[in-house]
Parts: sequence; structure tokens; C-alpha cells
Amino acid sequence: MTLAIETIDLTHRYNKKLVALDRLNLRVEQGCIYGFIGPNGAGKTTTLRILAGLLSPTKGEVRLLGERLTTRAAQRLVGYMPDFFGVYDDLRVWEYLDFFARCYGLRGARLRQVVDELLDLVDLAGKRDAFVQTLSRGMQQRLCLAHALVHDPPVLLLDEPASGLDPRARVELRELLRTLRDMGKTIMLSSHILSELAEVCDAIGIIDHGRMIISGPLAEVQQQLATGARARLRIARESDVVLALALLQRHPLVSAASAAAADPRALMIDFSEPLNEEQCAAILAELVNAGVAVSEFSARSENLEELFLRLTATTGQTNS
Amino acid sequence: MATHIRRPLLNPILVREARTRMRGFRPYLILTVFLLLLILSAFGIYQYMVFQARTGMVVLSSHIGQALFKGLAFTEMLFIVLVAPILTSGAISSERERLTYDMLLATPLKPGQLLAGKLIGALSYLLLLIVASIPVFSTVLIFGGIELRTLIWVVLLLGSAALFFGTIGLFCSSLFGRTTPATIASYTLVLILCGVPLLVASIWPQFSNPMGQSPPPWLLYLNPFSAIVAVTTVTPAAFQPDVPFFSVNDPFMVVPFLSQFSVGIIRYAQEGPVLMPVYRATLLGFWLGTFILLWLSSHLALPARRWRPRWSDLGFVAAVGAIALLIWMRIDWWWIVPPVDPWLMPVEPVPMPVPIDPAPVP
Repeated sequence: MTLAIETIDLTHRYNKKLVALDRLNLRVEQGCIYGFIGPNGAGKTTTLRILAGLLSPTKGEVRLLGERLTTRAAQRLVGYMPDFFGVYDDLRVWEYLDFFARCYGLRGARLRQVVDELLDLVDLAGKRDAFVQTLSRGMQQRLCLAHALVHDPPVLLLDEPASGLDPRARVELRELLRTLRDMGKTIMLSSHILSELAEVCDAIGIIDHGRMIISGPLAEVQQQLATGARARLRIARESDVVLALALLQRHPLVSAASAAAADPRALMIDFSEPLNEEQCAAILAELVNAGVAVSEFSARSENLEELFLRLTATTGQTNS
Repeated sequence: MATHIRRPLLNPILVREARTRMRGFRPYLILTVFLLLLILSAFGIYQYMVFQARTGMVVLSSHIGQALFKGLAFTEMLFIVLVAPILTSGAISSERERLTYDMLLATPLKPGQLLAGKLIGALSYLLLLIVASIPVFSTVLIFGGIELRTLIWVVLLLGSAALFFGTIGLFCSSLFGRTTPATIASYTLVLILCGVPLLVASIWPQFSNPMGQSPPPWLLYLNPFSAIVAVTTVTPAAFQPDVPFFSVNDPFMVVPFLSQFSVGIIRYAQEGPVLMPVYRATLLGFWLGTFILLWLSSHLALPARRWRPRWSDLGFVAAVGAIALLIWMRIDWWWIVPPVDPWLMPVEPVPMPVPIDPAPVP
């Protein structure tokens, strides 16, 4: 199957000195939501701007749906929503979409149809005649997303689409992204809100200092990076904490055990390998048999945020 | 899926400008201030002419018409010079400030279309101002004294000035990332073109050698005010086929500051006196400047590889080349060479007085 987005050794330098992208290889399959994660200055926006045809790479190759990237191809195949998007305050909602639709050469009945359909899609039909400046941040975000869809592009590039949104607006945006994926669009989005990506993305890529650290389906990435699982333990009596810590630190499967600073009765346990349910039960039984009053025991795997922090910290150390 | 993208039939920027230009109170405020300024000017000039008649000067009805026309045309030009740059100095920079520039560049819209849409939008508003001023201008018809030819020249000059000064704003907007520096730079250019030559011309006679010489006409070639005064002032004062008489002065000093400057000359050719007003050079200069600035702006508006040659450059080169060729071919039509004063360069050597020998002492 042809890849929706493919970059081969993509390199970009600003002013011939600052390396923004360093031989970045990216592969995004058609019809998936791809999350692009990285700290500030990692090269996310530069990558998206190159894919949108707004920036020419210093070196390397970009292919969109198998087609070599040109400005015309990017305009035709890509819908782009920048991280800091602008709205024309003096335009009404329908006029805003009408303006961008005209930029793509739409006219007549088709133009009106597209505007109406997009307003329905982003749930702004009720705000059709309102001025853009009167919309909430979440509504403006949806309107901006709608502007990127006026020419029905197969690929959507969204730079930090969830930034500045309240929880309700985030949920709405997530639903909208799923709807667009079901419509067959390939969506690539960058974000700092990693938990958001975990809930909506099919695949992720982690970038730091212009280099792709890891990329692939979400579950695969998490599995590849799983160096151990974690568990949270809560002790009913404070007097049992020392005993519990001593028992846990002696256990062969435990790599580290510590009490939380804010709550001394809450213990965090890092295991050297992922545990199955029986192993968890055995550890719990050992503690109870030793007379430790355990009020809570929950095993959990490393989340995306922890993965991201660990990976970017490792890269930072390597580079320094 | 989008298989192909058609070029917009109607410039989308122009459609947006048409929708939003008259929104809010500002356009109406500018229009009101402009019309009030014109009405006050017309009333002031009329009162001035009445006063002249009361002090014993011969003031004909046509004199009042000419004075009104001159004063109103000057006021309108002043307004265009002040308003045109401000209407366009935010064209590109405001898109950058509003963070909509990337969104526009991601569409098939070309920087040239963006500039053209913004310029035409601003000019259409100026055209609205000019059209709205027609009732005030029509007071001239009550008194008469204006030829149709003069009217056409004035309209041509006002239109060309609107285009040129609007393009100055566009150029500065493309050059600077923010609107405030772009507006300041536009007005600095306006001051250099309009104020500085007038200032130099006003002190020229004091510093010329010998003193009292008129400033060179090229100093005022791109000055819209000297051009508007030239159109409305350098007219045949009396119709006498055998002895044509031109007035290059303003007998009633309607625009007193400007009427002192050289707004044209009379050249004595073989077929008789030929009128050489300065506004011809102004008009050609405005057209040339407009296309050069538009060409520069179309490159400056690009986000990357600004100075890489493009196909659209051919159109600009053709337009600029055609105007330059016209200017070169018709140099005798606009190039003013002031006549040399006969007493400065006499044809024959002035006979020196014969020294008188002292009378022999008897």
C-alpha cells in the first residue's frame, strides 16, 4: 500500500547553521492518525511546514501518496492548520470558509455546498452568521480545521491542534479527528498533550533535536520501549511502611521501591520486567503474610508521557 | 479527494475586501472627515475670492470657478497622499501579524494576486471618496472657467497618485514584518517625495548663484502637489491667437505656498510659445514607480527564495520597459529645460565701455 507521507533523509538548516532536521525518516500509512511528539525546538513545526510546501528542505526527499513533493502537489494534497492560526475578525463564519474555498478555485453551487457541509461537519452550522471574533477558542479551532478541508485533501497536517482548549473542546476535537479518519483522511498531528495522542493516535513518532527517535504503531512503540512495569501500593498503617520497603527491595523482580514524598504511605514499585497477574498476586500475598496491611495495589504499564520524558532525556544526555 | 485545483475566477482577496472594507465605523468616519474638509475648503476659497473683490480686484465668475477647482483638487490630492499609504501599509504585514499568512501561502493563491487584491481594494475605497466628492466639486460648474481638458488631467493625476502612493504602502508592508514600521516607512517616503523637494525649492533662490534663480524643474518631477498646481494654474489666461499669453502664476494666490515654485515654463519655439508644465513628468514617473514597486513587492511577499526569477517577472519587465521606452521616445514632451536668461549668456559679447582718457592737464 502506498504510504501517505514518506520522508527520506529529510534535512533542514536555518541560516546554514542551525540544524532543525537531521536526516529524518518518516513513514505514515494511509488512513491513520499519526501523532508527532517532541519537546520545543525538536523540529515538529519545521517538518509540518515542509510537508505543507511552505518551506524547502535543505536536503532529502518528501513523497505524498507516492508523489514527489512540489508546492502544487502540497497545495492539492495537504490541508494545513498551523500551531498559531489566525482568524479574520471582521468576517462571518461562513465568509471565512467561503474565502478559503475561493482560494482553492471553488465557485458557484459547489462553493456553497462545501461551506454548508463543512459547517455541519465541525458543528458550527448554528454559528454560520456570527463574526469569527465572537467564537470561543474551541470553535475557532474547529473553524480553522474546517478551512483546511475546503479542497477535500487526503492528508491533514495539524500543528498542536489541542493547545489552549478546555477538556470539553478537546473531547470534541478528538471525536472530529476520528470522524475524519473514518472518512479516509490521513491525519498527522503534533502535540505536547501526550495523553491526548495516546487516546486518538494509531501510530506515533518521537522526535528530538531533529532526529526521529522511534516511530510506529502506538502499541508496538510501547511494547518496544517497555523496560518494566510499575505498581502502586498503599499501606494502611504508617508503621508497616519500613517493613514493606525492606521486603520489596529484597524481591528479585523489583528494581526499585520508594515512598512518595507527598504521601509516605504510598509506595511506587518499579519491576525489572513486566509482570503477569499471578506474579502480582504472589508479591501481594508475600506482603500480607509478613503482616503488612495493604489497602491498595494497582499494577500499571509505563504511559506515553513517561516514555516521552525518558526517551528525550536519554537523547539529551547522548547529545551532551 | 482533490484531483486538481482550479485557479480562482475572481480574486478571493478582492471579494473579502469588498465584504469587509465598509464594516465598522472607520470607513464612514474617514469619508465624513474627507467631505467636511472639502466643503470647508470650498467655502473658505469662496469667501477669500469675495474678499478679493471687495478690496478692489477684478474678480470674474471664471476666476472663482478656477480658484475653487484648484483649491478642491489640491485638498483631494493632499487627502489621497495621506490616506492611500495607510490603506495599504497593512496589506501583507497585517496578515503576518494576524498569523494568517501561512494559511494563505498554503493555498494556491499567488503573492501577486494577494497584492493586486489588496491594492484594488484600497483603490476602490479611494475611488469611493472621489465619487463622493463630486457634489462638492460640482459647485465649480456654477461659476465656470474650467476646461474639460483640465478636468481630465486632474482626474488622471489623482488616479495615478492614488495608485503610486498606494503601492508605496504595499511595498513597505511587504518589506517589513509589522504594520507600524511599514506605516512609518511609507510616510517617510511620502515626506521625501512631497515635503523635501518643496522645502529645497523654497530655499533654492536664496542659495543659487546668482541669487534669485528658480529651482530646477526636475526637483519637483515626482511631487504630486506641484503637478496638481501646474494642471490647474498653467492655463491660457487670455485667448489671443496672435499673442498667446500664459499665466504660470496664481493671481489670487489660492495655494500661496506652492504658486511660488516652478510648475512649468514657456519655451519659445519656432512655431511660437510652447507650454511645458511639470505634471507630464509626474504622471510618467508615477506609472514607472508603480510598476517597479509592485515588482519588488511581489518578490518581497514570498516566504522563501525571494529573488529567484519567475515567469511573472516577464510581465513586469514588459510593463516597465514599455513605460521607459515611452519616456525615452517622448523626452521632448516632458523634459523641461529652463531657458537660459539672455543676460547670463549673451549671444554677442557685451561691448565694454571705452575707458575715458583723463583730460590732458593744460
